[in-house]
Amino acid sequence: MRSAESALSAAHPAVPRPWGRWGLRATAISYLALMIVVPLSAIVATGFRDGLSAFWNDITNPTAFAALRLTLTVAVLTTVINAVMGTLTAYALVRYSFPGRRLLNGLVDIPFAIPTLVTGVMLVVLYGPQETLGAWLQARGIQVIFATPGIVLALLLVTYPFVIRAVQPVLLEMQKDQEEAAYTLGASKWVTFYRIILPTIAPGMITGVLLTFARALGEFGSIVVVAGNIPGRTLTAPVHVFGQIESQNPRGASALSILLFALSFALMLAVDSLERLRGGHDAAR
Amino acid sequence: MPHAEPRQAKPRGPLEWVLVGAVIFYAAVLLVGPLAAIFWGALSHGLGVFWRSISGPNARSALWLTLLLGAGATVINTVFGVVVAWVLVRDEFRGRKLVNGLVDLPFAVSPVIAGLMLILLFGRNGWLTPVAEALGVKMVFSLPGMLLATTFVSLPFVVREVMPVLAYAGTHQEDAACTLGASSWQTFWHVTLPTIRWGLLYGISLTLARALGEFGAVLVVSAGVSGLTETATLFIYRSLDDRNQVAAYSMAMVLALISFTILLLMELFKRRADEQ
Amino acid sequence: MQRAIGSQNTRGRSNGIFVAILILPALVVACGGTSGPAGGKVTLVLGGYTTPREAYGKGIIPAFQKQWKEKTGHEVEFQESYQGSGAQSRAIVGGFEADIAALSLEGDIDRIAEEGLITHDWKAQQNRGIVSTSVVVIAVRPGNPKGIRDWPDLAKPGLNVLTPDPRTSGGAQWNINAIYGAALRGFAGTPKDDPAVSKQFLRSVFRNVSIMDKGARESITNYEKGVGDAAITYENEVLVGRQAGQKYEYVIPRSTILIENPAALVDKYVDKHGVREAAQAFIDFLSSKDAQRTYTQYGLRSVDPDIAREVQSKYPQVEDLWKIDYLGGWKRVTKEIYGPQGTFTQIYEQLQASR
Repeated sequence: MRSAESALSAAHPAVPRPWGRWGLRATAISYLALMIVVPLSAIVATGFRDGLSAFWNDITNPTAFAALRLTLTVAVLTTVINAVMGTLTAYALVRYSFPGRRLLNGLVDIPFAIPTLVTGVMLVVLYGPQETLGAWLQARGIQVIFATPGIVLALLLVTYPFVIRAVQPVLLEMQKDQEEAAYTLGASKWVTFYRIILPTIAPGMITGVLLTFARALGEFGSIVVVAGNIPGRTLTAPVHVFGQIESQNPRGASALSILLFALSFALMLAVDSLERLRGGHDAAR
Repeated sequence: MPHAEPRQAKPRGPLEWVLVGAVIFYAAVLLVGPLAAIFWGALSHGLGVFWRSISGPNARSALWLTLLLGAGATVINTVFGVVVAWVLVRDEFRGRKLVNGLVDLPFAVSPVIAGLMLILLFGRNGWLTPVAEALGVKMVFSLPGMLLATTFVSLPFVVREVMPVLAYAGTHQEDAACTLGASSWQTFWHVTLPTIRWGLLYGISLTLARALGEFGAVLVVSAGVSGLTETATLFIYRSLDDRNQVAAYSMAMVLALISFTILLLMELFKRRADEQ
Repeated sequence: MQRAIGSQNTRGRSNGIFVAILILPALVVACGGTSGPAGGKVTLVLGGYTTPREAYGKGIIPAFQKQWKEKTGHEVEFQESYQGSGAQSRAIVGGFEADIAALSLEGDIDRIAEEGLITHDWKAQQNRGIVSTSVVVIAVRPGNPKGIRDWPDLAKPGLNVLTPDPRTSGGAQWNINAIYGAALRGFAGTPKDDPAVSKQFLRSVFRNVSIMDKGARESITNYEKGVGDAAITYENEVLVGRQAGQKYEYVIPRSTILIENPAALVDKYVDKHGVREAAQAFIDFLSSKDAQRTYTQYGLRSVDPDIAREVQSKYPQVEDLWKIDYLGGWKRVTKEIYGPQGTFTQIYEQLQASR
């Protein structure tokens, strides 16, 4: 994904054309106001409708709290695994030639295109207790669907491309010479990795990690099929929000939603500032 | 400056082979396994059953509704997305950074929250319900609300893909066209649009993929009336309830195939955009 | 960086692509608009709970359509939605324009009436507005490996019991009422008429509940996927499942509650859509012998005594069958069991805190 932040800072104002400019600006702002600001205000207003203490209770009552804790836990787990495997995958795709490399590179983007519900259904088909693989695992005491591993699996699937696609361009741009130089100077592969490669790809990794985490917080479609509704064990925050909506508790649903998207939004802003920093760094080179 | 892609080398030594092996294993288990499973699930009862499942009236109308909502959301987001991208890149005004931040919001919002927003606005005691009723439009539990929800969740893509391309291209050509006497519309159509063509197409394909796959928001906002307000994703969800696993898996496979097609287009557009 | 200005042809072609890409979807949208009502054709919107979707979809609605065609010469089209009874009730209140609400329990129809959407006295209809009945049973695996014979067995430690979420599912509420009521009546190995002990018993059963799905149907399909040892559910849910080829068995407890399912037309939407005649005909049809017989073909018990006699062999007698009145009626139950300080609410919060 491109850096929109650097686009913003690199913008050149066009030759002023009064009527057109005002018309366009008005259109853009009204569109965003209607589509984003108004819905947002509705949620914030509803969440705080009965005051701060009600809001606090809505997000700290046992079920909501357990759901939040579970969501954060699986998000962290997913992010850690994705950070490691995503970086390794990006590295393998960029540096090595191996059978199936091209195919893998194409497959990476699949989670961007596939509906999340289909992702969940795929996991149920593969790991459901009555399917052969699922039954085999269950006989050995490993439960995937309707247990936390299923949730993490679903999240790993939907966030698969994030770290990979954030790190790949950085690796591609990186001068291979640096790596070769360090290696010929006698540095071991590990030292090369830690001192040369890791610092360079760190910004990309961090971007990917933040995006993964933000996405994992809000994931719904795949989880609603693979997870049960056990508070504390398989009930995630978005699914709980859904339950609150269905139980005609818009205030509770809004309160939890505010927390969730405030967190995600903060992460996205962090990503944007990182891109801006990197954009500046790149421009200086 | 475009970089030549570094040539890949074969892995040397056991460590590197293990690394590659781990990467391939991870991708196989995570990605390929479930994909293969859905194909197997849909086709394991034979092609005839598969075909019957997705050609029934409910399935057909669900697919049609999905395409309809996807197309509608894509058109809306393309038109307004280009406008927003233009304004954010070419125009200067106070609060531009804030407006820019707003565009990212749909990424940060879980789909059910998007659905909740619409219920709060257009439900029984919604803020905008009087407006909708005055206009005679039924929003929640009906198609317009589902369209709005789908448009919301797929909003940022066109903006985010067009902005960098627009910025990168600069205004030289546009200024040149202007001095040559071209009107704003001519400038846009003949100069700007071709410039942003590939980035725009990439953004459109991302929008479409996202819109076709929407589930959480429409689940909240629609009553799931089969044949009327049931999208392909809702159809899958309901089929699982109806104990009709084959129908669910078959529709899932159809959606997966559509996604692959869009994915291929995405890759094509992305490559062209990167080349520019 | 100056980009070479391409030839007019290439630019024209790429612009053409744009036009196509934008117009094509717009055409799709335009052509996809829903067609207006055909002359004489009536459309009825049915908002039902999850369990009777086969009964209505495959049995009652086709039968009614045939009858309507014969009587008036016109077609009647149905649009059906099925979800958890509570969720459906709230959807109708929240703006889902159902002409007919066929829900799991009185309280969910009352909610619609209280919001002013039902203005006639729906309980004055035949059979107090009840169109079908069932009983709460326990579904078990083939061969009943865990040896579940009655309510007390559900409290056995280590058992995994499925039941839906009472906030959205009517079936879930029937289930909880059944357990609590049976305990109060002394059929759960507990002394009779002792609320505290009965509450304890309910709690011990729910300690074994790990997943609470949104609706009765979701719950039983979960069970069919291999999750859980036993599922508390409607008798008709089990029967429909077995009709669909599922191989579980079920146990009718010695004491259980009679589930009474109401149906009513929603005045506000019926008048808005102008379908009162057809809607009233449908409601009347539900009490007819034809419809009642159809209900029994899809696992539901009939309110008509003649039909009930006909199918007695399929629907065994229950030793101690009682109704919601025993617990004081739905209004009292809604407050005392499911209210903010309700018996079940307290149990639920206690169990969560301890998990």
